Amino acid sequence: MTRTLTITATEVPSGTVLALAGDLHLHTAGQLRDILKKTDLDAGQQLIIDMKALDFCDSSGIAALVAAYRHAQKSRATLALTAPSARLARLLALSGLDRFLALYPTTAEAQAAWTPPSP
Amino acid sequence: MGVFTKNHVMVTGGQAGPTVMLSHGFGCDQNLWRLVAPALAERFRVVLFDHVGSGRSDLSAWNPDRYGRLEGYAEDVLEICRELDAGPVVFVGHSVSAMIGALAAIAEPERFEGLVLLVPSPCYIDDGDYRGGFSREDIDELLETLDGNYLGWSSAMAPVIMGNPDRPELGEELEDSFCRTDPNIARVFARATFLSDNRADLPQVKVPAVVLECSQDVIAPTGVGAFVRDQIPDAGLVTLDAVGHCPQLSAPEATVQAISDFVTGLR
Amino acid sequence: MTFTSGHVHDAASSGEGFDEGNPGFTVPETAADLLDDNAEDLYDNAPCGYLSTYPDGQIAKVNKTLLGWLGRAREDLVGRLRFADLLTVGGKLYHETHLAPMLAVQGRLDGVALELRTADGGRLPVLVSSTVKYGRGGRPLLIRTTIFDATSRHSYERELLRVQREAEKARAEAEQARALAEVERARLQRVVTTLQRTLLPPTLSAPEGMEVSAYYHVASADQVGGDFYDVFPLSEGRWGFFLGDVCGKGADAAAVTSLVRYTLRAAAVYDPDPVAVLNNLNIVLNHEYNGDDPRFCTVVFGIITPASSGFTLGLAVGGHLDPLLLRADGTADYISTRGGLIVGVFPDPHFATTTVHLAPGDALLLYTDGLVEARVDGADGESDARYGDAALRDHTATLAPTTASDLVEGLTGLLTRFGDGLDDDTALLALSVPTPPERDDQ
Repeated sequence: MTRTLTITATEVPSGTVLALAGDLHLHTAGQLRDILKKTDLDAGQQLIIDMKALDFCDSSGIAALVAAYRHAQKSRATLALTAPSARLARLLALSGLDRFLALYPTTAEAQAAWTPPSP
Repeated sequence: MGVFTKNHVMVTGGQAGPTVMLSHGFGCDQNLWRLVAPALAERFRVVLFDHVGSGRSDLSAWNPDRYGRLEGYAEDVLEICRELDAGPVVFVGHSVSAMIGALAAIAEPERFEGLVLLVPSPCYIDDGDYRGGFSREDIDELLETLDGNYLGWSSAMAPVIMGNPDRPELGEELEDSFCRTDPNIARVFARATFLSDNRADLPQVKVPAVVLECSQDVIAPTGVGAFVRDQIPDAGLVTLDAVGHCPQLSAPEATVQAISDFVTGLR
Repeated sequence: MTFTSGHVHDAASSGEGFDEGNPGFTVPETAADLLDDNAEDLYDNAPCGYLSTYPDGQIAKVNKTLLGWLGRAREDLVGRLRFADLLTVGGKLYHETHLAPMLAVQGRLDGVALELRTADGGRLPVLVSSTVKYGRGGRPLLIRTTIFDATSRHSYERELLRVQREAEKARAEAEQARALAEVERARLQRVVTTLQRTLLPPTLSAPEGMEVSAYYHVASADQVGGDFYDVFPLSEGRWGFFLGDVCGKGADAAAVTSLVRYTLRAAAVYDPDPVAVLNNLNIVLNHEYNGDDPRFCTVVFGIITPASSGFTLGLAVGGHLDPLLLRADGTADYISTRGGLIVGVFPDPHFATTTVHLAPGDALLLYTDGLVEARVDGADGESDARYGDAALRDHTATLAPTTASDLVEGLTGLLTRFGDGLDDDTALLALSVPTPPERDDQ
């Protein structure tokens, strides 16, 4: 794998959306982990990883998604994965992660499902 | 690849007569013999060739290890002799080729009827009482001059296609390659030529030889010709009334005469 | 032209002075005088040096400009010296070996770079061009040489030469570095190969009456892969086996692979329940890699116990591909183990469990994802087609019934046919129960 990954971070009312485009693999997973370190989340916020434009994900990519899950958990925020490809959805099901990570068909649906923390 | 391609071997003249092999020195190629080869071909079978790295030789055959030593060129001469399969030859070596011929004749004397050593020098650097004519610094200066001229390659040494109204026989093909060599190759050949010391080899030459020297030679100082004659067991010395280092160009008739006399005298 | 010989020129040039007065104020007598005077004046005071030599190099005629550059008198040169005598020793050698032959053969030289020696011991870089004048019958009579001061060109060329030499040196150094890197890469590959070998078991210890076979395809010679497997004896007539895949590659992954292998073997001795073994591995990995660089593995772990006919395999699966069961009747089907979580990421995992009876003639295949993820030419020009589960099942069905070694051999052939499409490490582990001789005829 030598193809690249582009990550676009957007602040939204519910928290942060990280849109991934390209390939998430051994050589690009570090990019996602680095962005996570710079992504501050408040308790109750939602971290959305938008995978609509993600073409490929290997086991190192899955590990980076687990890192995202841990990062959100640390801030008492939640993680939502949106728009995975059929192959990625199958990979998440095989790994058993689909029962731990919230999956949504679209980012809009993930945001709609979010409820602001009660003050 | 055959040695004929590798060394751009050309054979002219009769098939029967003694074979005379003309070997050019550092700087140019077999065209150096153009004023003497036709006259020699009237009486002998004449073999011309380019040393690897010069003229129209196969440059892909060149490597700095083999052609950084005169022995490498001598091996090529023996290869050509083997390939010709014409019995012993009379080898005419100009300048550094005189020593190349001596080395070849020492290695396989049966392949040589005799050696014509044209303006030879077994050592160009002064050493004690021996006068080679040059110092190590002089040779470095030559290398620098070579570099200086290869820089402006296209202009300085550009082929002169147009205009030789007085010498129409000079074809374009000649001017494409004559005296032009890849600078790295020229440096390696220059080093092999001017930094070799073959004085100790001369007594081992066991075939008849003649030294042809010029009355005024800028490169081989007076006395070197006699030195070579004295070191080779069976050798004579002829002084040509010629100036410069290329008697085959400046005094072609006298050169042809001296070569012919030597070949005839062998029989 | 008037300068066909030294004699004619010397007579003419001695008549008119060049240094007296300003020629601009001299009123010429006739147009012819003007032309004649100017030709001589131009010859002697031209912005370049002129030199005529006889074929043997003897100087026949020289202009004032050149004499001025050399700092020498006319009578020192004419009839006394040769052109080559004006050059440095290196230039003289070059002249004799290259220029004189070229002039003799070509009759002409253009823009040769040389250095002249001046009377005060200095050097003057020049560009020299010569043409030969031939007489009747093509005999050379005279060599006419024009000499340009090339001081500025010379320094420019020296700089070019210096840069060229430095570039050559840099190229040689880069070449050397590349050769070193090549050696280093070869060394690394040997280390990787050695490491890979230590991560795989030297022998597989199967129970009596069971055949096992394994294969490991290394995708990259530079990077240690993360696939692993083993078959080993436990106490009380039990055996353990596993096959799995650590996420990632390289040295970090190799460290995890090593930890996983030894943890699985140790945990199986401690508590030979397959789920307990995976729970123990999960605790170890989760504890070891709980930061922002999580490490996990997918794994199938099994305990083998002899049954009245064949063996019973108790399996626990964490996030791994379903094993494939090839029956003695020639069928091939996946054993569904979905729902098992990858090992090492969460503190409270769930693992899928199942029990398989391996009867004589049956074979079980465990494999890593390199096999089903191999790129193949897709139907309808699909650009990113993979081999896939269905193709693997259909292919193995053509091999069934089979033995562990035949199955692995058949699949090794398949891996080879993938060629470049197989870009990941791939491990295969097959267990089979041979058909007793008396049942050969079934």
